[in-house]
This record gives sequence, structure tokens and C-alpha cells, in this order.
Amino acid sequence: MSRILEETDRLKALGWCGERVARDPVNQPMINNWVEAMGDTHPAYREGLAPPAMVQVWTMRGLHPAPQPDDPLHAMSAVLDEAGFTSVVATNCEQTYHRALKVGELLTVRSRLSDVVGPKKTSLGVGWFVTTESTWFSGEEPVATMLFRILKYQPRPQAAAASPITPVVSRDTAFFWEGTAAGQLRIQRCEACGRLRHPPGPMCPACGATSMGFVVSEGAGTVYSYVVHHHPPVPGKRLPFVVALVELPEGVRVLGEFLGESVEIGRPVRCTFVRVGGFHLPAWEAAA
Amino acid sequence: MTTLPPLSIEVTPTLIVSTALATRDFQDVHHDRDAAVARGSKDIFLNILTTTGLVQRYVTDWAGPSAVVRSISLRLGVPCYAGETLTFTGRVVSESVIEVVGTNSLGAHVTAEVTLA
Amino acid sequence: MSAAIVGIGATEFSKDSGRSELQLAAEAVRAALADAGLSPSDVDGLVTFAMDANAEIAVAREVGIPSLTFFSRIAYGGGAACATVQQAAMAVATGAAEVVVCYRALNERSGHRFGQVSVAAATAPTSSGVDNGWHYPMGLGTPAATVAMAARRYMHEFGATSADFGRVAVADRRHAATNPNAWFYGRPITLDDHQASRWIAEPLRLLDCCQESDGAVAIVVTSLERARDLAQRPAVVRAAAQGSGPDQYVMTSYYRDDLTGLPEMGVVGRQLWRQAGMGPSDVDVAVLYDHFTPYVLMQLEELGFCERGAAKDFIADGAIELGGRLPVNPHGGQLGEAYIHGMNGIAEAVRQVRGTAVNQVAGAAHVLVTAGTGVPTSGLILAPG
Repeated sequence: MSRILEETDRLKALGWCGERVARDPVNQPMINNWVEAMGDTHPAYREGLAPPAMVQVWTMRGLHPAPQPDDPLHAMSAVLDEAGFTSVVATNCEQTYHRALKVGELLTVRSRLSDVVGPKKTSLGVGWFVTTESTWFSGEEPVATMLFRILKYQPRPQAAAASPITPVVSRDTAFFWEGTAAGQLRIQRCEACGRLRHPPGPMCPACGATSMGFVVSEGAGTVYSYVVHHHPPVPGKRLPFVVALVELPEGVRVLGEFLGESVEIGRPVRCTFVRVGGFHLPAWEAAA
Repeated sequence: MTTLPPLSIEVTPTLIVSTALATRDFQDVHHDRDAAVARGSKDIFLNILTTTGLVQRYVTDWAGPSAVVRSISLRLGVPCYAGETLTFTGRVVSESVIEVVGTNSLGAHVTAEVTLA
Repeated sequence: MSAAIVGIGATEFSKDSGRSELQLAAEAVRAALADAGLSPSDVDGLVTFAMDANAEIAVAREVGIPSLTFFSRIAYGGGAACATVQQAAMAVATGAAEVVVCYRALNERSGHRFGQVSVAAATAPTSSGVDNGWHYPMGLGTPAATVAMAARRYMHEFGATSADFGRVAVADRRHAATNPNAWFYGRPITLDDHQASRWIAEPLRLLDCCQESDGAVAIVVTSLERARDLAQRPAVVRAAAQGSGPDQYVMTSYYRDDLTGLPEMGVVGRQLWRQAGMGPSDVDVAVLYDHFTPYVLMQLEELGFCERGAAKDFIADGAIELGGRLPVNPHGGQLGEAYIHGMNGIAEAVRQVRGTAVNQVAGAAHVLVTAGTGVPTSGLILAPG
């Protein structure tokens, strides 16, 4: 621990260091690659203005990064690795853009270590939060800054992050999940008497037949009841979330997470599907 | 309170790889599935520069081309693996500040504040 | 029925018993036998819940019960409570056994907590596992949430409010406040406290949800004939019944025509009234299963104490509190005393019949007890022998 604190003091005392010059000036082809990949159609980016969020891209170290011993984050990470805090996760990134960048400007970045805080107990394990600051310059003019924080932690032996629950599938219900995978909400239909049923089963409770087909629902219904779940945590869900029981015009009810903003009984909804652990689960969103 | 229309993005392997390359981030966990799995991840996942870019896009899509982005502040949550659907929702919390949340099936991937000039 | 409850026993109710569930079971069984004036060698039958973690043979070993001629388990969580006594009474009636002890022991707070999402329940390779696949993966995976779905619809159809649910909690906690064995002894709540408590699964608040407890309860059943020679005044089993309803699921019977009732409890109630030759107006004390407050209102309706949708009016003037028209859960229920999966409610009914309860209702001649709600369930009517 004293080694971590010593190194923190040493690196903080260095102040701004780790200067790096961009490989290329701000240029239209790289902007084009970026907007194409992001799906961003902002018209100014076609005309020589760089997307603000691209600032860090210009000074990335590239495919074959040269060693940079005076980079404060690199140096601090090495010390924490030695102390057993080997895992890393980024927790915060705050970028401020002083002005727009134009094609032709050549950027330089400098960084400094601003803070190392720890050891802290976190949900991932015990670790240290390492915060660095970076400033980008065009010539001598600062054009953007970034605060970047990582957690270097000692992974817990059983950091078994609860994986989301997936449905148990039987021969009787496989058709339903095959349907959701194909984007269909299938409702079981008795081939003998035509009765629709959900959840499905192997034998028609009305006529006793065991020959089952299905119809594909339009997926439009209304909320019959709902729950806003606050506690306890549910694997794979962010609290609070809404689960709705939806009545379909076909005469059955289907339960799923409600993904919209405001829920109430009677609200028209339409079916969508969310992918969880290889399954496509029915879910509901507000109908227009 | 004004809310932004939600935006859902299918996070395909192609999206993860193309954005990683476009942001010049060549760490293997963003393009090599075997390497990502060997490092304890479920699959390849989005890099931070892309998350930042998508948050910016979500807000400027709504605000229009005349809006000037002053700052983007991200808190990072669960990873966004290939195969996820990343859904952004947002609300205007003050005249120039928009709060954005990006969720996937594992929970909140990013919680962000975007300040417009 | 010609059977009676002749002994009750329990451990203390706590949040961390500090001992194994098996030890809790053995202690409660011994206490119940001592209460009855019987010894382990008199016992030839044991009944428990399918969910209980202690095998009948393990309990028999610890307590020193030499042999068993009858052992049985009832499924569906807390719905098993009164059915254990029904099983025991039937065993006694048929001669399968003479003295049967029903037990339930759990470290539900310090050990496996039912209020958390059960991945095991959601992934079981059984028909129940398949059933849970329509709910758990979508995020509906806790008992509170499953009840909240029905409660929301009930509010919508009948105009009930969170405060109406809160009155059940206030009554339970008032009763627990004067019961030294209750976890919430000396700690009553007001309706404002209830309304200020945090959401668990809207429309349920924290104070709509029962406790999580460690503890055990045991109940000794034998023939009425033998009961007359034993230490305690017998509590005669006047009626005992199980019930499941149409399109029944465990906690998620959401596909029936109506979400606002508990038809499985209706099945139980109709049998109880018929067996005992009486009706709701003859009940002096009701011990109603109260893991979540909304189902207490629905039970009052389903059992015929009031019209459908009228429970909120029925309880508005304190009818279910001590001194009211129908005192409910004088021991404090599972919200106030402890959550022993309904078995502590049977013990309270026995004390009311004996006239030895701490919050005794004078002249309690007919005491109704119900078991878990939202699941296939059971009920009892006990009377002094």
C-alpha cells in the first residue's frame, strides 16, 4: 500500500506529461469512417467539421503503440498490477469541448495523474480509483479536456455476476420460443377445436386433443395489470422496471417487461422482443 | 418534463468492430471474440469512444444540426456485448443539460449528461 | 372429523437462529410433545411441507421417535400449512397413525430467503419450471411482485388504495405489539408509517410484506378420543380442506378470467363451511395468511365475510382489530409475529380455542385458519373440545 501511495505522489508531482502528437491532422476521410460506423448523419461532419466526441480518436496510440513510460495512467496501472489489483474497468469519462475542430488542425495531447483513491470495497472487489486528466491542444491553444477514471481491482474469487434468467423450454413450449426468435408472437391453437391458449400446454383443456398448432398474433393489446419492481435486484434488470400483463384481442394474456415511459391499465401496447441469453423474450412498448 | 424519443441500436459484431476501428481502438476485446472470451468476457463489446459517440449522436439527432455539444460526461455500467440491443432514453433536465441512459438486457450500460451550448 | 390438536410447540422467532434448521425442527417437535404430555415414543406419524429441508426420518432420529407408520409432505409453499393438519387428521381417522406431528422449520432470514429471486425455481426441469419460464425471465420473480400484479388489478376494479392494504398491516402490528413472542413486540405502526414506507413492488410497500424469520413450529394431532386423556384442552379439528382453482399456477394464476379473487381459497372455504355446518358469521377469530396485505382483503371476500370488492369497507372501521367484528390475527400474523410459513397461525388458533392466547378473544368457539394465498392452499376450523 505504501508503494501505491509513493508512486501516486511521484506521478502527481510530475504534473502534465506524456505528450503525444496525433499521427494525422484532423481529416475528412477519418471523419467519414467515424460517422459511417456510428450511423451519425449530422450534415456539418461532411463539410470539414469534426464530431466533438471524436477528439480522443486523433491521438489514439494506434495498432502498434510505442512504449510511453511517462504516461501517468500506464505507470500507475503497473504499480497496481504488482500489488494484485490486476483487473480494470472504466467508470467515468467526462469530455469538455472548448470549440469545434476543423480539417487540417494537428492535435497534441498531454495528461496528468489527478487522483488515486483506495482501497475501496466495490461490487466487483476491493480496488483503487485512478483518475487522469488530459488536455488536447491545437498549436498552443487548449481545445478539449477529458477526465478519465478507472477502477483497478482485485477480482473476487466468486464474482459470479448473476446472469439473467432464461426460460425452461419443454416439447410443449418450444414452438413459442422458436416463434419469438423469428420475431413472431405465437399463440397455441388446438387443431381439433380451435381454442387459443397461453401459456401453452400439451393437451387442450376444452376438448382433450393433443394435436397443437398456433396462430401468429398481431402483437397489439392492452395492459391488463402491471407491477413496478423496485426491490430486490433481479438478474439482468436495472431497477426500477415495469412488468406488464397484456390482454390480446385473441383472448389470451401474455406477460413481459414494459419498455415504455408511463404505464397504466388499459394502455395500448405492441409486442417487441428483447434478447436475453440466447432467447428472445416478449416485451411491450407503448403503441402510438 | 421533456423526454427524447428512445433510440434502439442493434449491437452487431459488425457495429462493434467497425466503430472500434473508426475510433482507432485496436484492443483485441473489441474485435476478437476468442480473445474477449479468454479474458473473461462473454463476447466482444463496445469500446468507450463508441459509447461516447453514440450518446452524442442520440442527442444531436434530437437537437438538430445547429446544436453545439459542449461536454459529455459518462458513467459506465454493464458492458455492451455483441447481440445486445442498446436502447437510449433521454430527458431534458435543464435548459442546456440532457440526461441520457443507455440500457441493454444486462442493465444500464451508460448514464450520461450532455451539455449543449 | 374426529381428530384434535393436542400439543403446540415453537422455538423463539428471530432473524438469526444460530442453529441448523434440523435442530429448530427437533426443538419444536419436542416442545409440542411436552405441551401435549406425550413422549417421542408415542409418535408414529410426521407431516411437513414439500419445501421443508428436514427429512421426516432425520427429525425422527433427532427426537428419538423409534418408528413411523405414516409420513407425508404437502406441496405449494405456504399453502401446505393447514393441509399438514388435514393429512394428520386423515391418517388418524384411517388408523394409519395414532399420533402425528406436523412441523415446519426454517432459517428463512439467515439462510435461504424466499423474497429474493430464486434461480433454482426458475430453472427446474419440471412443469413448474416451465410455468416459471413465462414470468421469471421477464423480471417477475419475487413473491411480492407476483402479488403486486393481482393487487394492481384489484385496485383498478374495486377502487381500493394502498391505504386500504395498510390497514391490514396496522392491525397486525397493533396485535403483535402486545405479544411478547412477536418480533415486533412493542412496535406498533400507524397508517402514516405504512404510507411512508418504500416501494417494494408497486403497489406494494415494505410494510405490506411479511417479515423474514428464523424459527420452527410443531403441532401434535391425535384422535379426539385419545385427546380427552391428555394434558391440554383439545382443539377439535371441525373442518380441514385443501383447494386449487381453475387454471391454477403457483403465485401467477394470471390467465383466469378474473385476477381479483382467490378461487382456490373459495374451494377451501366452501368445504370448511360444509364440514363444520356453519358459515362466516359463526367465526369468532380468523387467522388469515398474511404474507402480503392485499390477499387478506381478497380472502375476506372469497370466504364470504363480505361482498366482492367490499373488504376495504369491511375493515375501514377496525373490524379486523381486537374488539372488532372479526378479530384477525390476534398474535400479529406473519407481518407482526413471525413468518413460519403459516404454522404459527395454527398455533395461535389452538391458543385461542384453549383460552390461553396473550391477546385472547373472549369465548372463541370457532377459529378459522387459512394457509398460503396465491398458491393451492388449505384451511382449518378449530373449536374447543
